[in-house]
Amino acid sequence: MVDDDIPSTVATSEEDLLRVEDLETRFFTEEGQVNAVDGVSFAVRESDVFGIVGESGSGKSVTALSLLDLVESPGRITGGHIWYRNADLAEEHRERTPEAVDGDFVDVLQLSEGQRRALRGPSFSMIFQDAMSAFNPSLTVGEQIAEAVEVQRRAEANPRSVRSKTQGYGLGSYLSGLVLPQRDFVNRQSKLEAIELLEKVGIPDPAERADEYPSQFSGGMLQRAMIAMALAGEPDVLVADEPTTALDVTIQAQILNLLKDLQAETDMSIVLITHNLGVVARMCDRVGVMYAGEIVERGTLEDVFDDPVHPYTQGLLGSVPDLDRPGDRLHPIKGNVPDLIDSHMDDRCYFADRCPKAMERCLDPPGERQVGGEHAARCVLVDGEYDESEALADGYFEGSTAGDAAASEGSTADAAAEEATSDD
Amino acid sequence: MTDHDEPHDDARRTDDTRRTDDTRRTDEPLVSVRGLEKYYYEQDTLIDRLLRNDPVSIKAVDGVDFDVYPGETLGVVGESGCGKSTTAETLMRLREPTGGSVTFDGEEVFEMDGDRLSEFRKRAQVMFQDPFSSLDPRMTAGQIVREPLEIHGVGTREERRERAADLLERVGLSADQTDRYPHEFSGGQRQRIGFARALALEPEFIVLDEPVSALDVSVQAQVLNLLSDMQAEFDLTYLFIAHDLSVVRHICDRVAVMYLGEVVEVGPVDEIFENPDHPYTEALLESVPRADTDERDREVTALRGDVPSPRNPPSGCSFRTRCPKVIPPDEVDLPQKSYTDVTTLRNRIEREGLDLEFVWEFAGDPDREDTAAFKETMREEMFDSFDADFAGEDAAVMDEAFDALAAGEVETAAEILRERYASVCEAVNPELPDSTHPAACHLRDQPADVREAVAAWEADDGAAAGGAVGDGAPAEDAGSSAD
Ligand SMILES: Nc1ncnc2c1ncn2[C@@H]1O[C@H](COP(=O)(O)OP(=O)(O)OP(=O)(O)O)[C@@H](O)[C@H]1O
Ligand code: SF4
Ligand code: SF4
Ligand SMILES: [Mg+2]
Repeated sequence: MVDDDIPSTVATSEEDLLRVEDLETRFFTEEGQVNAVDGVSFAVRESDVFGIVGESGSGKSVTALSLLDLVESPGRITGGHIWYRNADLAEEHRERTPEAVDGDFVDVLQLSEGQRRALRGPSFSMIFQDAMSAFNPSLTVGEQIAEAVEVQRRAEANPRSVRSKTQGYGLGSYLSGLVLPQRDFVNRQSKLEAIELLEKVGIPDPAERADEYPSQFSGGMLQRAMIAMALAGEPDVLVADEPTTALDVTIQAQILNLLKDLQAETDMSIVLITHNLGVVARMCDRVGVMYAGEIVERGTLEDVFDDPVHPYTQGLLGSVPDLDRPGDRLHPIKGNVPDLIDSHMDDRCYFADRCPKAMERCLDPPGERQVGGEHAARCVLVDGEYDESEALADGYFEGSTAGDAAASEGSTADAAAEEATSDD
Repeated sequence: MTDHDEPHDDARRTDDTRRTDDTRRTDEPLVSVRGLEKYYYEQDTLIDRLLRNDPVSIKAVDGVDFDVYPGETLGVVGESGCGKSTTAETLMRLREPTGGSVTFDGEEVFEMDGDRLSEFRKRAQVMFQDPFSSLDPRMTAGQIVREPLEIHGVGTREERRERAADLLERVGLSADQTDRYPHEFSGGQRQRIGFARALALEPEFIVLDEPVSALDVSVQAQVLNLLSDMQAEFDLTYLFIAHDLSVVRHICDRVAVMYLGEVVEVGPVDEIFENPDHPYTEALLESVPRADTDERDREVTALRGDVPSPRNPPSGCSFRTRCPKVIPPDEVDLPQKSYTDVTTLRNRIEREGLDLEFVWEFAGDPDREDTAAFKETMREEMFDSFDADFAGEDAAVMDEAFDALAAGEVETAAEILRERYASVCEAVNPELPDSTHPAACHLRDQPADVREAVAAWEADDGAAAGGAVGDGAPAEDAGSSAD
């Protein structure tokens, strides 16, 4: 089901902190096998923000969960590598598991489960779209963050732990000497750090708020608290899955500013997952566009936004109304995202049933092709222009399982508009 | 079908530009909302009454005015909880209003009954946000669209069937899909079905409550184009509720901006987006991330804090607790940012409850002895540039207030600050004047009664600073939550 894998030729960089190669995650459900992540490759540089953008059901969240090894049954990571650069960790494993080590990089997928779990917190940390579900409703916010701090402390005490932490979190030791007699926390020091973290993410009166329960927080506050919790481990990589989707724009602006500041201050790398192209443009240095379990185009923000080559990327950009330049008719992509069930997915370019430029040669699964520099796309158009004589007949996919709902979704008017504009 | 592709939006826009040159519009509004109110009450049970708990009113919609003109799309924007949906549902008589009036084509909606109400229910329709719960899962697409026709006894059975099939086709579904159930459709297709249903009775007016916010962008664009096409074809008037400002700019002719149950600005779409008059509108627009490679370098000043609870709305202008342009009294000559910092501190003291214990901890002196360290912490943490900006009287007043806080005398500190720094924005509630692009802000034109209240407050200021004029709760009340 995976395309004939042309080894990735996209330039890798010395500064890479994470190299994901041909990652595959599948769910084995009653309806069939769901190829949620289907051969995904990308690299995240140190202190960089890498964005993954795509529509609902394209596999963004499952990619995120896979990075942290949080995929649950019936799902499983079925292939690929997650190379994580960490000299200490590499040293540790060089002798025992040489196949998992390449220079300073360690393939975390080849480590034991316990070893991978130990990386959660100090190496990888995650924030979720739905902050409420990330917290336990019956414990105070402070207790839960203190718990995360505690976990981090234990990891640090552990000699096999990851890098030594040199950077502090700013506010320093102002709380030293503080006595908090009646409060019942995991550990006084952890509680103080939890308050410090809450203060850091901009929660007013953090000492009071720490004693409140998640339900007493507003959406924006809880999102901040979750970021505080994720920062407790001082992670190298923060995976943020739709961190602002549930929030109003004004609160979104606060949270994005906060993430930017924290990133600048701590030098962590961020993998930012979102369906909002504006959020990508605001935050990311590099971007991968995800469609049907694959990254169909990736490169720098400029590559992808200013010179998109994949028709899906072009379609996505054409679908968003522009706040500053209104008025034009939108150019939607016809049809819908496929459901990713293996038996519904024909062995071809997964976008072909919606693509205005689909041709005969798109019926072979296109591998990723290099456009130039870091810019790459899974599309035959990288090799040569659209050739009308090769175009697939109208309604080619109609009746096939995957194209069924899709074909009728775009109204005729939409399709006509699409055609009218695709030539210029 | 290619005639749909004409960008008729442009024609409407030119229309608008012409309109804005006049001071008043000459055509009659189709829908006219005046002073609409919808309050909810908490602590209003029998037990509460026995315990003599005062009922707490939540002003979900608090005196809303706007007009919707025939053939236009009026957008309603604002953060979640600001009352957008409640406004729409109340004006459609899906909720009982607490006060105010709505006229539809000249008739008072809240007084309609019998045939006239039934007629209204035909001419005005609603389409809701959620494509997953707004359709009855046990009915087929065809039945869903036919149902309103059956309720209103329109046509014969065969005619209804034909009409439903025709409508479904018009919204882009095929004839063989009429017998399918909602779960067999995608989100975008369900919105199409919901829209076909709303069109069934040939309405003139449709309330679209977040019609595309649950959809993926590519599908959202399909539905937005469909809405435009149908509006042109059937001469529809839309009230379009959305939180996505890009979508609103794309589809609306005029926009009403809501904050805490009130409309704070209304105007033609291009004016609202290019020359917003209300500081809240400005802040909203600034916060939207643009899908553009220049976006990374755009400086965005985020609004502070959250929308205040409607259980305890601020006195005066409801936006004043977050407004970066809150107006200083004449005798205060501070840079705006520093004055805004003062109001932020005052809000913390009077409304949100400042955690003094934490300040002492922060100052490194939990034993509360080193007042100098406490004051230093206040200056550093609560202000951007205290030392540079505060001199003379301002420095003295702040010092006095910090002393009071250090001594734990929160109410005294609140009074000291109120006396010097009380703003007209907390004393007098600004209103929407009667014009084509009004804004409820003291920085803009205000109706005569508001101007009088401001003058009265200014005359009265100095001595009785803080005594509220107008209909806002007095500042003293808000201050009682300080400790
Ligand atoms: N627990 C699960 N069991 C079965 N299938 C799953 C599970 N979680 C995800 N999937 C499937 O994996 C695919 C990718 O889902 P994923 O949640 O990663 O999408 P996404 O891009 O994050 O979408 P959204 O934008 O809606 O969050 C979907 O087809 C989804 O149905
Ligand atoms: S490979 Fe073909 S079908 Fe796929 S995106 Fe490129 S042109 Fe379209
Ligand atoms: S009245 Fe005052 S607080 Fe309200 S928006 Fe205008 S300047 Fe800001
Ligand atoms: Mg997701």
